[in-house]
Amino acid sequence: MTESRAVARRPARKPGGAIVFWASAALFAVLFALLTFQLSATTTSGTTTAARPVQVRKVIKRRIVTTVVPSPGVNRVVSGPATSSASAAEVPAEPITTSAS
Amino acid sequence: MREHDLTFDAMGSHVRLLIGEPPAGADLPSAAEAATSARRFVREFDAALSRFRPESELCALNADPRERVPASPLLRRAVRAAREAAELSGGLVDPTLVDEIERVGYVDSRAGLTGAPLAEALRSAPGRGPAHPRPGSRWRELAVDEEAGEVVRPPGLRFDTGGSGKGLAADLVAARLRGYPRFVVDCGGDIRIGGAGALTWPYEVFVEHPLSGERAHLIHLGFGGIATSGLNVRIWRDAEGRYVHHLLDPATGEPAWTGLVGATALGDTALEAETRAKAALLSGPVAGRRILAEKGGLIVHDDGAVEAVGPIAVVPAPVLEDRAPAEVAA
Repeated sequence: MTESRAVARRPARKPGGAIVFWASAALFAVLFALLTFQLSATTTSGTTTAARPVQVRKVIKRRIVTTVVPSPGVNRVVSGPATSSASAAEVPAEPITTSAS
Repeated sequence: MREHDLTFDAMGSHVRLLIGEPPAGADLPSAAEAATSARRFVREFDAALSRFRPESELCALNADPRERVPASPLLRRAVRAAREAAELSGGLVDPTLVDEIERVGYVDSRAGLTGAPLAEALRSAPGRGPAHPRPGSRWRELAVDEEAGEVVRPPGLRFDTGGSGKGLAADLVAARLRGYPRFVVDCGGDIRIGGAGALTWPYEVFVEHPLSGERAHLIHLGFGGIATSGLNVRIWRDAEGRYVHHLLDPATGEPAWTGLVGATALGDTALEAETRAKAALLSGPVAGRRILAEKGGLIVHDDGAVEAVGPIAVVPAPVLEDRAPAEVAA
């Protein structure tokens, strides 16, 4: 009994360098393969299924600018039932008005 | 810039043409010649399409017992315009209410006649409510066969241009004035504005208040149409002494009292503006606002209150009292 306890308490031997190297390489390869698979799966699903709708929000600021445009100084030649075009004189014209008729 | 200003009477109203002089070297007749030519056209239009002239092509069509009637391009265009107006207004601007309008007493032209007092008419008018299209929509039976050059409709179905004629005339004159720097065609308040110069320097258009006769609003307009429909003209007392007017509720064939006494509408064309104005007035305040919301306009309530609707409502109304007519025209 005493001898077997002594064996159990013996410190574990360090693994060999080659084992550590190959185990690390294998772990890396497995992880790399997993990541590659995951990445390709994501890309495929993105192209074959409907993409998640992306809501584009635009902030529109509406500015109403009221500008008083000066009259271009129109000279009006007025002719009516009692005034022929030939004898028309330049006079200030009546404003344009919309009304029921 | 020089503008030629010509005023004359036609279609039972005043017609006014304002035409900018074309630039030197332009292959166009002078503004005065264009105005004279346009006046001739408007008078031909009136002669062909008046319900009050027994010799007109319109009266000949209405009296014709055939289902298919050969018609001039102008009459065919007028029928198409009336159908467009009826479709745009959902049947409120109905060109087939000739029997109904004659029944309320509008048999002869009322040009030059003073209307009955609107304020008094409003006090004695029946209850207010929106007008509705006529059941059966007989205007849909009006058609044009352009290939055959015919108007097609059931014999006895009479047609009138009363709801669309002036707007159409303004648009057709405007088409003849293409190339002029700026112009206004005003057919009895149904107005079409055009020309590149008008975009740069819009015209000032005043809206007349139907109750006071004063200026209710000022709109700067550089393109398109504007028209007003109101109860203040073509209103009279019938044989029984009740007040009647010419804007009928198609569903009842009786004058419409909707809570509005006037409506002004903007549109891409004068025909569209005229249709929207009439439809808004016939629809009453609630639906009227909806009709005017897209292109803009004004409604005038029975109590005289003026309400701007749509695009023009966002622009503060100018103070009109400070401006004398001479200053405005200068």
